[in-house]
Amino acid sequence: MVHYAFMIPLFPLLSFLLHLLFRKRVRSIAPILGCICTLVPLVLSVGVLIARFQGTTYTKEIEWLSLGKTAITMGVVITPLNAMMLVIVSLVSFLVHVYSKEYMKDSERLGTYYSYLGLFTFAMLGLVMSVNVVQLYIFWELVGVGSFLLIGFHYTSLAARAAAKKAFIMTRIGDVGLLIGIILLYWKTGSFSFAAIFQSVASGGISQEMITVTALLIFVGAIGKSGQLPLHTWLPDAMEGPTPVSALIHAATMVAAGVYLVAIMYPLFLASSVAMTTVAVIGGITAIFAASIGLVQDDLKRVLAYSTVSQLGYMMLALGSGGYDAGVFHLMTHAFFKALLFLAAGSVIHAVHTQNIREMGGLWNKLKFTGPLFVVGALSLSGFPLFAGFFSKDAIFAAVYHDGRYVLFFIALLTAFLTSLYMFRLVFLVFFGPAAEKIYRENSIILLAPMVVLGILAVVAGYIGSSWFGAPLQRFLHDGTTSLPLEAHGPVWLPYVAILISLAGIGVAYVRYGRRKDFHHENTSSSPVTMLLKNKYYVDEVYGVIFVKGAAFIGTIFVFVERYIIEGMVGTLASTVQWLAKCGSAFQNGQVQRYGAVAITGLALMLLLFIVLTGGYLQ
Amino acid sequence: MNNVPLSGYLLLALVLFCIGLFGALTKRNAVIVLISIELMLNAVNINLVAFAKYGENPGLTGQIFALFTMTVAAAEAAVGLAILMALYRKRKSVHVDEMNHLKQ
Amino acid sequence: MNHLVSLLIFSPLVGILLLACIPGNRERWLKWVALLCTLLPLGLVFALGMVFRLGESGNQFAETMSWLSYAMQGATGTVIYAIRYEVGINGLSLVLLMLTTLLMVLAVIASWSIKHHVKSYFLFFFLLELGMIGVFAAQNLFLFFIFFELTLVPMFFLIGRYGYRDREGAAYHFLLYNGLGSLVLLIVFVTLFMVTGTMNYAELLAVLPSLSSSFKMGCLLALLLAFGIKLPMVPLHSWMVKVHVEAPAPVVMLHSGVLLKIGGYGLIMFGMLFFPEEFKELAGVLAVWGVINVLYGAFLALVQKDLKRVLAYSSVSHMGIVLIGLAACNEAGIKGAILQLLSHGLISALLFFLVGILYERNATSQLKDYSGLAVGMPVTAGLLLAGGLASLGLPGMSGFVSEFLAFLGLFEKMPIVAAVGTLGLIVTAAYVLRAILAITFGEQRSMERAVEINARERVPAFILLALIMLIGVFPNVVTAPLATLLDTILPLVRGS
Repeated sequence: MVHYAFMIPLFPLLSFLLHLLFRKRVRSIAPILGCICTLVPLVLSVGVLIARFQGTTYTKEIEWLSLGKTAITMGVVITPLNAMMLVIVSLVSFLVHVYSKEYMKDSERLGTYYSYLGLFTFAMLGLVMSVNVVQLYIFWELVGVGSFLLIGFHYTSLAARAAAKKAFIMTRIGDVGLLIGIILLYWKTGSFSFAAIFQSVASGGISQEMITVTALLIFVGAIGKSGQLPLHTWLPDAMEGPTPVSALIHAATMVAAGVYLVAIMYPLFLASSVAMTTVAVIGGITAIFAASIGLVQDDLKRVLAYSTVSQLGYMMLALGSGGYDAGVFHLMTHAFFKALLFLAAGSVIHAVHTQNIREMGGLWNKLKFTGPLFVVGALSLSGFPLFAGFFSKDAIFAAVYHDGRYVLFFIALLTAFLTSLYMFRLVFLVFFGPAAEKIYRENSIILLAPMVVLGILAVVAGYIGSSWFGAPLQRFLHDGTTSLPLEAHGPVWLPYVAILISLAGIGVAYVRYGRRKDFHHENTSSSPVTMLLKNKYYVDEVYGVIFVKGAAFIGTIFVFVERYIIEGMVGTLASTVQWLAKCGSAFQNGQVQRYGAVAITGLALMLLLFIVLTGGYLQ
Repeated sequence: MNNVPLSGYLLLALVLFCIGLFGALTKRNAVIVLISIELMLNAVNINLVAFAKYGENPGLTGQIFALFTMTVAAAEAAVGLAILMALYRKRKSVHVDEMNHLKQ
Repeated sequence: MNHLVSLLIFSPLVGILLLACIPGNRERWLKWVALLCTLLPLGLVFALGMVFRLGESGNQFAETMSWLSYAMQGATGTVIYAIRYEVGINGLSLVLLMLTTLLMVLAVIASWSIKHHVKSYFLFFFLLELGMIGVFAAQNLFLFFIFFELTLVPMFFLIGRYGYRDREGAAYHFLLYNGLGSLVLLIVFVTLFMVTGTMNYAELLAVLPSLSSSFKMGCLLALLLAFGIKLPMVPLHSWMVKVHVEAPAPVVMLHSGVLLKIGGYGLIMFGMLFFPEEFKELAGVLAVWGVINVLYGAFLALVQKDLKRVLAYSSVSHMGIVLIGLAACNEAGIKGAILQLLSHGLISALLFFLVGILYERNATSQLKDYSGLAVGMPVTAGLLLAGGLASLGLPGMSGFVSEFLAFLGLFEKMPIVAAVGTLGLIVTAAYVLRAILAITFGEQRSMERAVEINARERVPAFILLALIMLIGVFPNVVTAPLATLLDTILPLVRGS
């Protein structure tokens, strides 16, 4: 089965090409075609996972670009992490394809939509199977393009256009860091392949400073793609894209690519304590930063977007604290419950035709399936006991505690409180309380079925990582490698504290939002803190001034250089020549007497020269 | 009569030549220009005759040459005046600085 | 078979002769005959490519004929100076010749809508092709110079007669700058000839190492000036911007696609091959200069209001990558530089072709006049987006391979400079997306202007896009012929 692994990304690629080239003809069967093209990879991925679980390893490379004696290759490699990611990506992609059939059915450009989805899925699957850093970078950029195209799908909207541009440019900044890191590693180790790099790190072939520098540069790439501080502002804006896209890309897969990058380069990071600290600190700060902003946002999707940023921060925090297993575990559970939340949000938006939670309320009775599903996702995200999120968050807390950074530990706990607070703020504002008079119908089964699948996973997926069942996930991940740190077990009181915090958050949310009486309940408090949070700490504005205006300013300076210095140079040259010509033409004015004067003067000068230089006739 | 040295005649010719040159190059009236040209030619004649009598190789050559230049001067004056008449008939003016059709 | 190269060089004459026989008012005939006649050189280049022996270094298909010779009284008796007619192909010239002939065919297809003075337009085209092919096929400095100069004349007329509003100024600008470059080139070539007695590349290669180092440095600096005007290097680039803005689109396709590459070709063949030691000494300067090109062009492209100017400064920026790659003086860098020559030729031809189509339809290329093109002209918008993504170096397109290799190369020698250069990647993304999205996304403003790209126009666009993606996905297709050339240059440049 593993020998067919290379075919996994080819099906979505086929979907991309077919949908792009035959947009008009394929439109009616586009969703079916798209779903088939993701179902096959799903089946294959599950097969690959099972094979890997049984211990088969597989690597295959072909030469891509010759470089002197060596060559850069492209290929396929199946490690435990890869196999797991393959299943996650293809599963969520398949579910999103199914969901989109109903959600996007009114769109004229359905074929184009499915083709972009196919491109993205192809790139993401190729990324997680990469055999060396160059291939990873190539698919990394392709994932970025897929995301760009999908965010900008509603291209007539200026907001979508701006959001797509912003997403691409910000992730590009990260990509440049990644590129520099890759190149530096190549010159230090002589190879692009993961194995060779890690070997070099282990055997001391790279200096400590260089390890730190390259690890940090690679982390810059992860910051960009995963929306960590300071390159986070594109993620909330990316909500301009269709909601299924947000579920696929900005919850489950693309943003997880940054976490995946750190995980796959983990031996490099482990070798540098500075890099680990940086990863953990940035992760922690991002987590609490984003959670605080999510508390006051009124747009349903934006809250979820900030929640994604915050949860990605958790994953980075875990990885940076040596909790490889915890980070990867949370990656998996987050993919499920966040995708579920986005799809459920999409269902709500599809029914209610607004994204502003101030205009919603009391939908629990009207959307009888969406409501419970959303709550399942919210409970999982908040770490409610027995749901998947509880186990993965617990693992993260354990790892951070074990690492000894108590400040970060405290931040993690505080963020958990904020997380359940803002999630249940959403739940209570959207589903409970006074309702509008309009009739809303629940959505069709096509919309609901994927959510049910994800809902089940959002509960069940936690068990494969918990120690109650012998931690099969952790054992699987460690299969075949010895360089990964073992899972830490936190203090005994940790799970209870976590439960307490999450319940506290739900409680406060109920008190604040669950008991309101009037519809359009406005939180009109305009205290400075609220304003700061509502405006996202003004980060966007600061970036706008520094970078956008700054770059335009530099451009304008160069325009002046162009106009006055460079063209000035040329212009001066031209006008000098013209001036000389004018001087010369002053002679030719048609006055005979002037001609005569010039002739006589010339003659006199020549005679003078003759006498001076040679002494004349009289010697 | 005292012997006037050679340089005296040469000086006289120089002065006459310069006056003629000045007139030829600066005067507006074409007739004056022609007169100045005649003056220059006569200065040359003086020069030639002076060298013929007092110069390094005294002889008749200079004087013969002077006769030639006088002839040429006469012919040139005639032609010049003819051109001047034609121009005057066309342009009703004898001012040299108005004849600038050759200008760029 | 053994005169294939000469046949290739003079094959555009067939076009000239045939066109001369057709009356000037039969425009359809003229266009079709021109198209067929451009297929002839393309076919010949393909034939050459088939028979080209990979792995054999040096000159292939060499032809020599004695031509000029004269005796001069030197200090030690009579010296005979001989200049022969020598032509031949190596890997680099083969690649560039393919680019040239292909772009000629596509440019002729793109010129279908020329209305006035059609006959002389195509006559100039063929003359230009003659010059371009000759430049790449010449094996001695004299022939190189002749063909180099030969390209200036038809370009001057093509710009000055068939261009847009400010065409005459652009044509004069072009002629003066390039004429200056040719002057410097002439001085260097003549000096070399007088000092070494030969103009043949191979013979020069043998003789040059024994000359004094300061003389060689002087020659290299002069060559840098001459080819720097052509490349173009900032601050000698203003003529190129004018040409790109004022010349008609097919002419810009050729200019940006081929003529600028002559600068790169000259730097490699004459700069690196003849004067490797001095080139290495200057490598640091060249690297910084390349980064300046990249950043200067990119920031300027960011603030332009006219799409053509955006693309013009984008060309300045991309040619900086060539300098960066060459300055690295290692396999990755030089390979990246050559690939960038090829890749940029294709990408800028595609983009300028599309701009030309837009301009034909709407008589404007100002960004503010366009919005929502994707609604009315989705195929064109898609092509523009694809071209823009290729321009910013997206993997899967040729631009990525060349930029990646160039930076890979430079990081080995000058990591700090290279790191600054990579900032250019960010600014490139910014200006490309700004310009392309401003045109294609957004509300559509006026319905009647949106006539979709037709079948004839699709041909060049899709061929170019296909090639760009082919090279991006299978770069070894192109790098194979380059291998032996690189093997020759690299030991020289790595040196001591």
